[in-house]
Amino acid sequence: MSKKLVLENLSKHYGSLIAVNNVNLEIEPGEFLCFLGPSGCGKTTILRMITGFEEVSDGKIIYDDNVINDVIPQKRQFGIVFQSYALFPNMTVNQNIAFGLKMRKMPQAQINSRVAEMLKLTGLTGWENHYPSQLSGGQQQRVALGRAIAIEPSVLLLDEPLSALDAKIRVRLRIVIKRLQEELGITMIYVTHDQEEALALADRVVIMRDGEFRQIGSPWEVYKKPKSSFIAEFVGTSNFLSGDKQNGKVRFGPYQFKVSGLDEIKADSVHIAIRPENVEMVGVTIAEENCLPSNMIETTADVINFLGAVVRITFALESEEMLIDIPEKEFERIRLKRRDKMKLYFPPDAFHIYTEHFRKLI
Amino acid sequence: MTNTTAPIKDNQTYQISSRRMDVDKVIVPAVTIFIALLLFFFMLFPLWTILKLSFFEQGQLGLANFTLANFEKYFSTPRLLNALWHSLYISIATTVIVTVVIFFFAYAMTRTTIPGKPFFRNIIMMPLVAPSIVQALALIYLFGRNGLITAHLLNTDWNIYGATGIIISEVLYCLPHAFVILFTTLSAVDIRLDEAAESLGATPFKVFTRITLPSAKYGIFSAAALTFNLTITDFGNPVVIGGNYNVLATEIYAQVTNMYRFDLGATISIILLIPSLMAFMLNYYISRKTFSMISGAAKPDIPPSRPLKKWLNTAYCTLVSISIILIFATVVMGSFVKVWPYDWTLTLQHYKFPSIGGYSAIWTSVWVSMVVGVVGSFITLVAAYMMETRRPYFKQFIYFLSVMPAAIPGLVMGLGYILAFNKPYYWFYGTPWIIVINIVICNFTLGILSSISNLRNIDSSIEEASISLGGDTIRTFFQIIFPLSRVAFFQNFVYFFMRSMTTISAVIFLVSASVHLAAIEIIMLDNDGWTASANAMCTCIIVIVMLMLGILHFVSKMTGKRTQVLNQV
Repeated sequence: MSKKLVLENLSKHYGSLIAVNNVNLEIEPGEFLCFLGPSGCGKTTILRMITGFEEVSDGKIIYDDNVINDVIPQKRQFGIVFQSYALFPNMTVNQNIAFGLKMRKMPQAQINSRVAEMLKLTGLTGWENHYPSQLSGGQQQRVALGRAIAIEPSVLLLDEPLSALDAKIRVRLRIVIKRLQEELGITMIYVTHDQEEALALADRVVIMRDGEFRQIGSPWEVYKKPKSSFIAEFVGTSNFLSGDKQNGKVRFGPYQFKVSGLDEIKADSVHIAIRPENVEMVGVTIAEENCLPSNMIETTADVINFLGAVVRITFALESEEMLIDIPEKEFERIRLKRRDKMKLYFPPDAFHIYTEHFRKLI
Repeated sequence: MTNTTAPIKDNQTYQISSRRMDVDKVIVPAVTIFIALLLFFFMLFPLWTILKLSFFEQGQLGLANFTLANFEKYFSTPRLLNALWHSLYISIATTVIVTVVIFFFAYAMTRTTIPGKPFFRNIIMMPLVAPSIVQALALIYLFGRNGLITAHLLNTDWNIYGATGIIISEVLYCLPHAFVILFTTLSAVDIRLDEAAESLGATPFKVFTRITLPSAKYGIFSAAALTFNLTITDFGNPVVIGGNYNVLATEIYAQVTNMYRFDLGATISIILLIPSLMAFMLNYYISRKTFSMISGAAKPDIPPSRPLKKWLNTAYCTLVSISIILIFATVVMGSFVKVWPYDWTLTLQHYKFPSIGGYSAIWTSVWVSMVVGVVGSFITLVAAYMMETRRPYFKQFIYFLSVMPAAIPGLVMGLGYILAFNKPYYWFYGTPWIIVINIVICNFTLGILSSISNLRNIDSSIEEASISLGGDTIRTFFQIIFPLSRVAFFQNFVYFFMRSMTTISAVIFLVSASVHLAAIEIIMLDNDGWTASANAMCTCIIVIVMLMLGILHFVSKMTGKRTQVLNQV
């Protein structure tokens, strides 16, 4: 029942401040799209323009080939799930879910069956006569989901719906949302600043910064092929090294790393990024004979963080703080301690090369 | 799983009614215009009439008619000019005394661990339940020409009539108003600042002068400005205890009712309006700063005070409380004894009111106050809702109009009403309805401010959730916002009811031969020498207001569980 939603040259200004700067996007029916970006990047502003709560400064929002810029929110038939749940505290779960249907003058018998179905879908059967304040945060957000879906929205918009929840419940509700989307086939537009959440849920991720789209692609693409150093840093974690191009290698300090694809780069100084899980520990995750000698270094382990499935080890490389992740099973064999020597290998094809470098402000 | 959606899918889809949405488009502008018109017609128009009458001959607009004769007359008549000096003197003296007295009281209530805080709090708030005449009545019974203390215990000729009497009455009347402000300020300022200073080696005196006082300075100024405004606009106390000592408020009344000089009354109104407007602006400006200082951080418990500090503060609060209790006890007692202070036989004879109004005045007051309570709290909630969530055009202008009534003395507004509406085609003139309108408008400011602060506590997503689900303005308001504002609505109801039962100055010009109000009856009875009956009438008002407070307290306690649940969200 969802139709195509198009953002055309969409902009939003607040006085001289540009919150959203001329963005274009086509959202396919039934797609799960995530807007991902740091706070203040304009992702919520886009969502609010789609809902109709924020006026469009420039450009068009087109749904099913109709420009809906001036359609009032009530008429858009878009469901919204808020970060703060926004349940009506004076109404029971039942009444909350039925609210949108009542507004549409649906006969009571049909409301009842629709509400019952929503309760079943969201796993809330048995809680219908409770007030929101008697429910846990996770349950409240399920009610909010049910309430938004009950009106059979053409698009469901979710504004950081899981941010207020505990880590465990967050992961569980993620699955609930994903399953609902796949079963109902509704277009879902999801805003989050949590990259893990975006990668886990989305068919397509839109990475935003400063009111602009920086990369649009599948979770796999944005993780494996980050278009810029900002994205390499923001999505997942990356180690950065800065050096000069010399003899087809990247030179920094005493090291000369071979990096695949370096020939295509014009600039003389480059920044190369590698993810912690792509750094290999020689003799543990890779055999020495499979390594290029130029890309091998010897260093000492600094801080060791046990993260469960992997162990993250901090080390220094030419005054840069670097990370390596090794599977917990491998770690168990070697039992590395702080200040222990280790030999590391940086595979040439694991690097991304950038000519600019994004510095995260901490 | 797809088949779970199948059963409810029928061919008919349910849509938001377009007609309802069309209506919705005009709701916000319509309500906004209604509120603007209300304030224009019942606030600006009467004020304009006063202005016209004081600056133009016969109140006829026109260049040829422009005159300053009224003002010349005012400033060249010593008796009239004196009223201004008297008013300023009384108000400044009262302001200084109240600010000092209540600062230490609020300090004791917020920064020490004295026992009996709820008791002290109830006592200090008591003057709110009675008309601002109860203080004067009691002081006359205690310190008047035949006063219990002056004439009988001390046998002195000294009496309290005049400036001293007015100042003491006004002090005792203004205490709760100033207390609310300073209590809020002092509880909001983080007590850990004091502790930090102490831990760095500051003496208690240094802590007080360097930390406590400066951090409360906006609250102190705000309380002072409010006290000044209340005192300079008060009518009840000075008219009873002032004797020949005239102030601006009593002079307006005298000019209008005794001399029929409406033009002079209007002129004095303008003169009274200036200082009270200034005090209001100052207060408005300061209170914005006060609230910006209040942080949401959790406040730790107050550490136990040292014994000496504790007992000194307890004694102080007791002393202040006793003086308030004494006022109320005197008035209530005075209404039940045969001839104060000679014959202490208990009697109900003073409750057989000798005036025309009598009990019918009380009933009129009660039903008028009920209507004022419901209408006032409802209108202010609707107005606040429109301004806060629907961002109508001219929002700032409407907001400005809504807070303006607090700056206008009730007496001035009342005079404006007779000047503006004493025409045959204003059917409501001379009926209780004009009183209802007047009281609602006069107290509009506090109603709207408390409604706004209540609405700001409701998550704005709730409103948006309703809209996204198809809720229009009317249904969103009645099904969600109104139920969530119930507590604030009750509080506003009590406030409007209380103001309506006790106000004198706003309505003294509006009572007529056929419409009597209890609070005005007190003045009439006292004027005609029926002092004991005036006390009886006063007691009736106190009892009715206390009863209403009790009922609402009970109701909110009964629904307390749900309310608490709602407040958590």
